[in-house]
Amino acid sequence: MLGEDDDVFDSVTWESPSAPTYDAGPSAPTGPGFRQSTAESEPGHGPHDPKWEGYLITSVKDPVKELADTKDAYVSYLVSAKTNLPIFSTPNPSARRRFQDFVFLRNHLSKDFPACVVPPLPDKHRLEYVTGDRFSPEFMERRRADLHRFLQRLSRHPTLQRSTLLRAFFESTEWHVTMHQHVAHPPGPEHTTGVIDSISDTLLNAFSRVRKPDERFLAMREGVDKFEEGIVLTERLWSRIRNRTNDLTGDYHDMAVAVQGLGFLESGITDPLNHFSNTLLEFSALLRHTTQTTTDPFLIHLHSLLQYSHANRAVLKLRDQKQMDFEELSDYLSGVTSERDRVDALRGADDDRSRVEKMRKLDAKIKELQDAVQTAHETSDAFSDETLREQTVFQYAKEAEMKEMLGNLADGQMEFYKAAMDEWDRIIPIIQRIRVDV
Amino acid sequence: MDPYETENPFEEDTDRVQSEASSAYRVNLSAPSSPPSQSSRIPSSPSLGSASRPAFPSSGSHRQPQAYKSDFCCTRDQWLHSGEEVEIVITDALKTSVNSSSTYITYVIKSGTAEAQHRYSEFESLRTSLARLYPTLIIPPIPSKQTIGDYAVKQAKAKEDAAMIARRKRMLQTFLNRIARHPILSNEHVFHRFLDGEVSWTEVLHSPPLSLLPTNILKAPSHNPTDQNASPGYTALPNPSATHALRRPDQRFLDSEVFTNKFAAHLSGPMEKVTRRTMKRWSDSSHDHAELGAALNGFSLNESGQLSSAIEKTGQAVDATYMSTTLLLQELEQNWAEPLHEYTQFATIIKKLLVYRHQKHVQYEMTQENLEAKREQLEELEKSEHAARRLEEALGRGRTSADSPRTEDGTPSSGDNSRADTGYLPPHPGPNPVRRRAPGMGFLSALSYTLHGMMDVDPATARRNAISKAREQISLLEDALHLSAQDLKYSSSTIQADLDRFQRQKVADIREMAISMAKSHRDWCKKVSREYIRFYVVPLIGSCLTFLSQNLEAWEEAKREVEKIPDHPNRMLEEIVEDSGGVANGSRESTSTIDGH
Repeated sequence: MLGEDDDVFDSVTWESPSAPTYDAGPSAPTGPGFRQSTAESEPGHGPHDPKWEGYLITSVKDPVKELADTKDAYVSYLVSAKTNLPIFSTPNPSARRRFQDFVFLRNHLSKDFPACVVPPLPDKHRLEYVTGDRFSPEFMERRRADLHRFLQRLSRHPTLQRSTLLRAFFESTEWHVTMHQHVAHPPGPEHTTGVIDSISDTLLNAFSRVRKPDERFLAMREGVDKFEEGIVLTERLWSRIRNRTNDLTGDYHDMAVAVQGLGFLESGITDPLNHFSNTLLEFSALLRHTTQTTTDPFLIHLHSLLQYSHANRAVLKLRDQKQMDFEELSDYLSGVTSERDRVDALRGADDDRSRVEKMRKLDAKIKELQDAVQTAHETSDAFSDETLREQTVFQYAKEAEMKEMLGNLADGQMEFYKAAMDEWDRIIPIIQRIRVDV
Repeated sequence: MDPYETENPFEEDTDRVQSEASSAYRVNLSAPSSPPSQSSRIPSSPSLGSASRPAFPSSGSHRQPQAYKSDFCCTRDQWLHSGEEVEIVITDALKTSVNSSSTYITYVIKSGTAEAQHRYSEFESLRTSLARLYPTLIIPPIPSKQTIGDYAVKQAKAKEDAAMIARRKRMLQTFLNRIARHPILSNEHVFHRFLDGEVSWTEVLHSPPLSLLPTNILKAPSHNPTDQNASPGYTALPNPSATHALRRPDQRFLDSEVFTNKFAAHLSGPMEKVTRRTMKRWSDSSHDHAELGAALNGFSLNESGQLSSAIEKTGQAVDATYMSTTLLLQELEQNWAEPLHEYTQFATIIKKLLVYRHQKHVQYEMTQENLEAKREQLEELEKSEHAARRLEEALGRGRTSADSPRTEDGTPSSGDNSRADTGYLPPHPGPNPVRRRAPGMGFLSALSYTLHGMMDVDPATARRNAISKAREQISLLEDALHLSAQDLKYSSSTIQADLDRFQRQKVADIREMAISMAKSHRDWCKKVSREYIRFYVVPLIGSCLTFLSQNLEAWEEAKREVEKIPDHPNRMLEEIVEDSGGVANGSRESTSTIDGH
């Protein structure tokens, strides 16, 4: 990752790298006359505020098992979108894609946009592949939900939502051709294995630290840490509560059975007690229902948000490495410069010809290094800017997801409590009707 | 309490299709004069809310309509039977060390104007005394003693365990009120003196009637064990063991026994176990919620703006869940687990009661057998007397053969044999020479007895003595049989009556338990959901407190509105969808696609 990104300065901007227009459909407006609209130029926006060009609402629906009777059976999903983004040729593109296509999309997006937080894909769930359960409705539904969330995150990202690859993903009727073209002609300038690569490879080690840490990023890192910490803790506690609730579900079921047994013993009040037992059963069912429809999705979402946050953290780390690249290169440059100065100072004492040769070599190296340092500096700065913007984007995404998540949770809980309340309310008059003789 | 009012709630029962509202309405109409009793009887009518939840034993719903009593034995009696809904309250538990080397807890009992202080052991003693005074009644249980394990675990703290004391307070109060509502027990002066607190309990214990209690209540009249003028026939009653089989068991009580066993097994088995497990889970769950609430609160500090307050509110909702779960747990314990336990204890008490009746029955049967045996003995003695006389006559007439008594004795002795096989099982207090004979030896021993009588210096006197003694015993046994029959009848009917009463009380209590459980859960749901609703609305709309008073549906409406509020750019994306179309085309001109350098 690091090696191929170092010199791809261009790719760290949020704009899509240049790529051939693959789609045969009505061509995207790439002609002259449109102006570049950047966030910086917009009034009322800070330099690092992201800018959304339009909306893209995506959905993943309708999983279908293809080639069902062959050993190459797979599941395809209907991906569709509603959009007003100019890059899309139609406001309602849709296509059928399989999981591998999602994998391709994600891999290449993260390659093409290293400074963007590309959301992670759901796990491949190897186990289901082995047991053959991957065609079970539950599995397909769960994966559909995961993929839906993945596309939703992509579409919420101001840069990724306008990438040509994503457009092709939604629009292309010849996705295989697109994939091959994309692989054969990766966007952006060709990788030149320059001096930076070799130098940074030799100089960098995994434990090196940024020497001049940028406070903005320190705070950011801290924020991410705390966020993840919070999520992990919440997830842990909530799943404990989930298990407890599961136990309670069983307990209430047992209690219902016990009360029913009591009803058999107490011949006079068998009927009301049976009703009561039913209420307990109903309560137990409600608990289970809530666990399945509210708590479980909540936990899944929480976990996936954690993974998304991991992706974010990876970008932060990459930024640190860019800065380290720059710092290491500067060190190397100053080392070479002082070497040259030392050689220069030896004037006269040595064989002039070899000295000049050495000086010439060193000068060339210094020149090369200065270029490299310059590039690294620019890369680092650009990356930092991009990261700042990316953080804002992520913050928005995070808030949106938390809102959705907590909202669903609250909805589910409200639904549960309301239903349970009705249930208990219903039973009270029945019990009150028990005849009590004096 | 006048009977009409007492009947009132059950009139509506006959008509089961009524809605809850209308039934509550009717109760309000028909019982306007006694709001307190109404609240305890219909505790869950919606208008009353949860505040008026009654303590166990519930209400006057199973209270006996008291006969109008005029001869009160003391002021407590008068108070208890004043015709109003009386409630004995244990107001406080105090730590004292009066009359004792170590500290102990006394419970302050307030009944009307009187106030008494008693410690746990005195309650226990009251219960045992009552149980002995009224062997045929179901004396309500008191909280069980702490196990030695508890003492070992908590050591010195065990006596001061607040939760334990609170539980005892509740259950002792239930105990007193159950006695106060018992149609017979409430008339007991010992109980009144216990409530009065004017004399120390030790004094009560050492004065009549308690001091007059016989050591073996089986040998005392069932209706009044302290009766000093009880017929001496009682002493003749046997003392059977509880496992003694009956020859002619009473089917009703056999059924009762089977049922009680089943009931006890069911309560202490599935019911109590499940309840304990459920409560354990709830308490764990409330613990988890507390932790989660704290975690979410901490979480919210790291975030900012809307998100922070949303997380915080979620945390508060979780906290509320914790709080109300704790409350639920408490109510579950008081109104479900404790009564359940009480009924397990009741079942044990009933078992004991049935054992008592069983013993009485055995007593009756054994006395009957004894009597028969005695009668036979008498017959035999008379026969041998007769034979001896004849023998004497024969001897006097000249020595004839001794064959004749032998053949004459042969027939009754074979009868003896069969009787010896079946009877004589009980130990008998009186002298019983017949018993000494081994079964099957009837003929020989009879003969030897006769011969012995012949050899005696004054055989006629000895025989006559034996005969008169046997007659005495028979008359005593006849008395005893009569008494025992009476006792048995009395015990059976009282126990049956009390069992019936108990059954009614049980139904009433189960009803209360179920209602209170339903209500606790409902309240729990209500509280938590209110908190969730609040969580939803407050951070997103702001402090619209006016909305808080509205109901759930209104909130959901509000929530949907809230969802539309654009609180961040991502939301904007979706917002645009609503008024898209033209925008999509328009913006295409103004914005760019992305293309690199």
